[in-house]
Amino acid sequence: MNRLINIFSQSLRAVLALKLRSFFCILSIAIGISAITIIVAATEGAYQKAFDIVAAFGPDSVLIVGGAEESRGIARREKTLTLTDAEAIRSAFGTAYMVVPMSNVRDVIISYRGNRYQAPVIGSSSDYSLAWTWPVVEGSDFTEVDLKRSANVALIGNETMRELFGEENPVGKFIQVRQIPVQVVGVLLERGASVGGGNVDNRVVMPITTVMKKLQNEAKYVAVLRVRFEDQENLDRRVEELKTFLRAQHRIPDGESNDFQIFSSKDIIRFLVALTGSLVVFVGIVGIISLIVAGFVLANLFHLSVRERTGEIGIRRSVGAKRRDILFQFLGEALLLTTAGGLCGFLLGVAASGLLQYVEAFPIHFSWRAFAIGLFLSWLVGIVFGLQPASRAANLEPIEAIRS
Amino acid sequence: MTPLCLMEDVRKTFRMGDDAVEVLKGIDLAVAPGEFAAIMGTSGSGKSTLMNLIGCLDVPTSGRYLLAGREVLGLQDDDLSELRNAHIGFVFQSFYLLPYATVLENVLLPTLYRESAKDHAEDHAIELLRLVGLEARMRFRPNRLSGGEQQRAAICRALMNDPELLLADEPTGQLDSRTAAEIMNLLAKMNERGKTVIVVTHDPAIAAYAKRIIRIRDGVIVDEQAD
Ligand SMILES: Nc1ncnc2c1ncn2[C@@H]1O[C@H](COP(=O)(O)OP(=O)(O)OP(=O)(O)O)[C@@H](O)[C@H]1O
Ligand SMILES: [Mg+2]
Repeated sequence: MNRLINIFSQSLRAVLALKLRSFFCILSIAIGISAITIIVAATEGAYQKAFDIVAAFGPDSVLIVGGAEESRGIARREKTLTLTDAEAIRSAFGTAYMVVPMSNVRDVIISYRGNRYQAPVIGSSSDYSLAWTWPVVEGSDFTEVDLKRSANVALIGNETMRELFGEENPVGKFIQVRQIPVQVVGVLLERGASVGGGNVDNRVVMPITTVMKKLQNEAKYVAVLRVRFEDQENLDRRVEELKTFLRAQHRIPDGESNDFQIFSSKDIIRFLVALTGSLVVFVGIVGIISLIVAGFVLANLFHLSVRERTGEIGIRRSVGAKRRDILFQFLGEALLLTTAGGLCGFLLGVAASGLLQYVEAFPIHFSWRAFAIGLFLSWLVGIVFGLQPASRAANLEPIEAIRS
Repeated sequence: MTPLCLMEDVRKTFRMGDDAVEVLKGIDLAVAPGEFAAIMGTSGSGKSTLMNLIGCLDVPTSGRYLLAGREVLGLQDDDLSELRNAHIGFVFQSFYLLPYATVLENVLLPTLYRESAKDHAEDHAIELLRLVGLEARMRFRPNRLSGGEQQRAAICRALMNDPELLLADEPTGQLDSRTAAEIMNLLAKMNERGKTVIVVTHDPAIAAYAKRIIRIRDGVIVDEQAD
């Protein structure tokens, strides 16, 4: 034990003395490890974000969107879903404890005492807050009665509140929504950026009946239906049943494609993983290649070093160093350098992904795991690529080493 | 007295590819504790090869070699390392000090590989450096020392583990005659203090410090003379 400490102190001595070799080894390892750190952090960030979103979206819920699958882009979807569909689902599915139809109107001018603000207006049945697990922080949600009467009431997002009211309490006040006076009944909790980085805190939520009649001139169609099921464990089956049910409801003949799409929280995870996946693959390949390159840089510098230091190896052997003492010394040098490289790489990775997060709003999450994986890989590189030069040093015959 | 080194018909053959060169062709040699011997001979006669065998840096191809009563032939590499560490101090023509370590750290080198840790190693090293007049230079790197000073540091390193046997292969080969005399006086002093000293040289002036001269030619001992 004592001997090992002595030998590693010699490794440290050499590493500190041979500065140029140390610099290039640390640099090359650091580049590889920083890439690896970013991957691990991005993967963890994506999963973290996915869990957050699923928790917010509701793991027991599905979203039915009008329009065929081919017509991508939410804004251009044709409307095919109706309030009748919503009613039909409610009565046909025993475990559907909540069916919320929604519509949305983009870029509506909202004003309050001369403050103007442009925001999307969402039409919803009552229980919007419950349906989206989105707490009302001031006032309360609008009610079934408001819905029946197509009342001019609204829940407003946090940002809309700040833009229109500043410090004033908005509850009970009247805002103008396209010249229509609407009373604010509640304020939604601030959500921050959503999956795609979009803003959700600027929305104004009103009874869907009010939105259809007074903003859209729409008698029948809604944009989406949100359905929550009591039996979350059967969600996949419920989605299939919903498809069959809606095809029948819309009288779609066999062989024709759906005029709606159903998303569940699994689809959200799939989307996020795909988004992160491409980055992970790219950075992963770069990271692994640069780690291998770093390994070869290390191996080559160590081979050079062993050749230059045959005299040192000879004298150490002549004063009693065993083969394994020499092996451990050189391996120790490699490990010290790769550890230092790993630590620098981790810091570099943290800095780089901070930048990435800032530029790209990319989910990044650091944990001990990113650190541990980086450190483990640095050691692996140190051992794998340091072993050959180190054993060459150890197997030098003392007389050969001393004759040089 | 039982000899410290006892060689009987020691042969050493080097293989180079298909060729085998017999460098030592039957050496019989006994060195008693406390002797001061010089090995002389022309270049290529096998002096260094013999020295390396005596110092257990290498093993004979055949014959018998007892060091401090122990048979060296057939020992494992690790056992040879332990023998060198405990019983032998080497001094080489080109000093072999580690360039990145201080003089003191260089002197302490043999203690790193000791089987049992001893206390006060550093005090002992400093004492040795004082003895050779290098105490003030002990925190220096070797490249700031003159050749003679470097060789004195190397001698301290050889003495560090308190070995019975000091082996010096042309220790003055890179030094001027005045510095060479200093080094030889130092080795003679060590001999007076009880160390067995063997010096390889082809310089009669250097060999004159020894009490016994062993002449070697073409791998055999041709002549022995004692003062
Ligand atoms: N490892 C080796 N492999 C092959 N030949 C060797 C080896 N070591 C020494 N020799 C050969 O053995 C012979 C004796 O070498 P050695 O070094 O012992 O001579 P020396 O007496 O010390 O000479 P010098 O005075 O030049 O130092 C030389 O011909 C040398 O080439
Ligand atoms: Mg020689």
